[in-house]
Amino acid sequence: MAAVSFHAVKKAFGKTRVLHGISLDIADGEFMVLVGPSGCGKSTLLRMLAGLEDITAGSIAIDGRVVNDVESKDRDIAMVFQSYALYPHMTVRDNMGFSLKLRKENRKRIDEGVARAAQILNLQPFLERHPRELSGGQRQRVAMGRAIVRDPKVFLFDEPLSNLDAKLRVAMRAEIKALHQRLKTTTVYVTHDQVEAMTMADRIAVMNDGRIEQLGEPLELYDRPANLFVAQFIGSPAMNVFDGLLRASHGKTWVQGLGTQWPAAAVPAGSDGRKVKYGIRPEHLELSGSGVAAEVLVVEPMGAETEFLVRVQDQTFTLVTHGRAGNGPGDRIYLVPQARHAHLFDAASGDRL
Amino acid sequence: MRKSSKEAVLLLLAIPILLWTLLPIYHIFLFSISSKDSAFSGTLWPDKPTLRNFGTIAYQEHFYLHNFWVQIWNSLWIAVAAGVITLVIASCAAFAISRLKVRGGRAVMNLALFTYFIPAAFLAIPMYKAMGAYGLLNSRWSLVLAMVTLAAPYAIWVLKQASDKLPFELDEAARIDGATPPQLFRLVYLPLMAPSLVAIGTYALLLAWNEYLYAYLLLSHERTITLAVALGHFIAADDSPWELLMATGLVFALPPAAIYYAFRRYMVAGLTSGAVKA
Repeated sequence: MAAVSFHAVKKAFGKTRVLHGISLDIADGEFMVLVGPSGCGKSTLLRMLAGLEDITAGSIAIDGRVVNDVESKDRDIAMVFQSYALYPHMTVRDNMGFSLKLRKENRKRIDEGVARAAQILNLQPFLERHPRELSGGQRQRVAMGRAIVRDPKVFLFDEPLSNLDAKLRVAMRAEIKALHQRLKTTTVYVTHDQVEAMTMADRIAVMNDGRIEQLGEPLELYDRPANLFVAQFIGSPAMNVFDGLLRASHGKTWVQGLGTQWPAAAVPAGSDGRKVKYGIRPEHLELSGSGVAAEVLVVEPMGAETEFLVRVQDQTFTLVTHGRAGNGPGDRIYLVPQARHAHLFDAASGDRL
Repeated sequence: MRKSSKEAVLLLLAIPILLWTLLPIYHIFLFSISSKDSAFSGTLWPDKPTLRNFGTIAYQEHFYLHNFWVQIWNSLWIAVAAGVITLVIASCAAFAISRLKVRGGRAVMNLALFTYFIPAAFLAIPMYKAMGAYGLLNSRWSLVLAMVTLAAPYAIWVLKQASDKLPFELDEAARIDGATPPQLFRLVYLPLMAPSLVAIGTYALLLAWNEYLYAYLLLSHERTITLAVALGHFIAADDSPWELLMATGLVFALPPAAIYYAFRRYMVAGLTSGAVKA
């Protein structure tokens, strides 16, 4: 186990700059998720940590040792690829034992290592099979097994669940999480799926356009997004956001927008008249007998809760309520935003007020 | 209904083409089981079919066949050596160009392919001079080296195209697992390339087996020439023993046919696999 630290790491492919100085410290035993839209540089950052990409500038350290010029195989890391990258011509046993074989471990040690990993992942019945004879979930577990066998300082996961169907993805998510709780190995996990990030991470680094937008614990990012990007990226369904004018007078704070008043929590003095973006999560809009008038567009009953797509002027909102809906498309309903859960962002910079 | 009528048309086309292709081979076969007197009788089946010609070959009982076994051994030796050496060179080159992405690798491959713009026949004399300078004339190695030279560019190109299709993550996974490039080559790359390697090895082997011009120029001694050249000697005389020539020709055609039959699955898959970039 080991801590990992990135210091002012930059990456450029020719003239294209992909990462603009990433600094990030990952604690020993931590489960760190790098999340962001495709092209944000998260995979590149992981591959640099793995030693598969050169580091253009800055430094990466594993367990206190700068590894910029250290070969992948000497970094004591193991990586699980999106495509699994299992060796097709080898059995599960040989796939998992390959790294030990290359290290010239003796047969007995290899067998022990493979047996231990197979037992952790319930792969014992499949050891003599080839990857093509396995289902997607089993291949995924073999890929993890190959990583476990090495007993590395750091686990790297590059979108490992993207190739699985929805049900299996949820199951494997829990399995990886349980594995981490058992082995407590420092883990860096890359995904574009914010649900994976929220459910698995100790801490999340939200990345966009080669920069870290915000670093924090999942609920911290959810409750206090540092900017508009994080606010809209984290959370499903996404936060509702629209333009407005911030007003504060007589101890009352609200945002004037969409032809009505939207309550907000107190803001620093002198903010009156500022152009802002008003953000409110779907579950923080309540249905009521009075409030902001809206027209129902779509009702999506999901059993435990109901999702509404509604319209206020030309702005659509999503809202989630518990229980069943008594409304249908075309109905007029009234929304009451919970003021203490409203998010305010500067209209120009997108930063949280 | 329409589908089956289409198939019928295709079949009607295929049968004459097939007959046209097989006719010369049937002719060879006919000659080889005829005695010298009846060889030119023009019948579709000889009156007294005989296997004596093959006996004559096996016991080297004719002037032109005195070194038959040495010559077929030469052919075999040269073909196998050319196949193996082409494979070694082409697989290493394809690995370096496609997987290790060595700088300038593609340029080298394209330069090699460029040699195909010059007909092989034009290169024969320079090749003869070069082999003479190295003192290799009349050695099996001269023909092996010449055939490798001719086969390698195409072999590299096909193997490179095939390697490009292997997922690159495999190499990365192996690197992280601790594999050095030679280990990657031996333990991951070669096993996965096996079908293409079989196809290309067979291609080079058959190329060398069938070669006439270079063999004729580079090898001139009765006991160093290949069977292909020896077959050519048959027609040098005024009264060529046609029935023996055809029988020997049939024997000469058997090893390639056997190899092709054994590896036919790989041949089709391998030779077309590099053709289109998917």
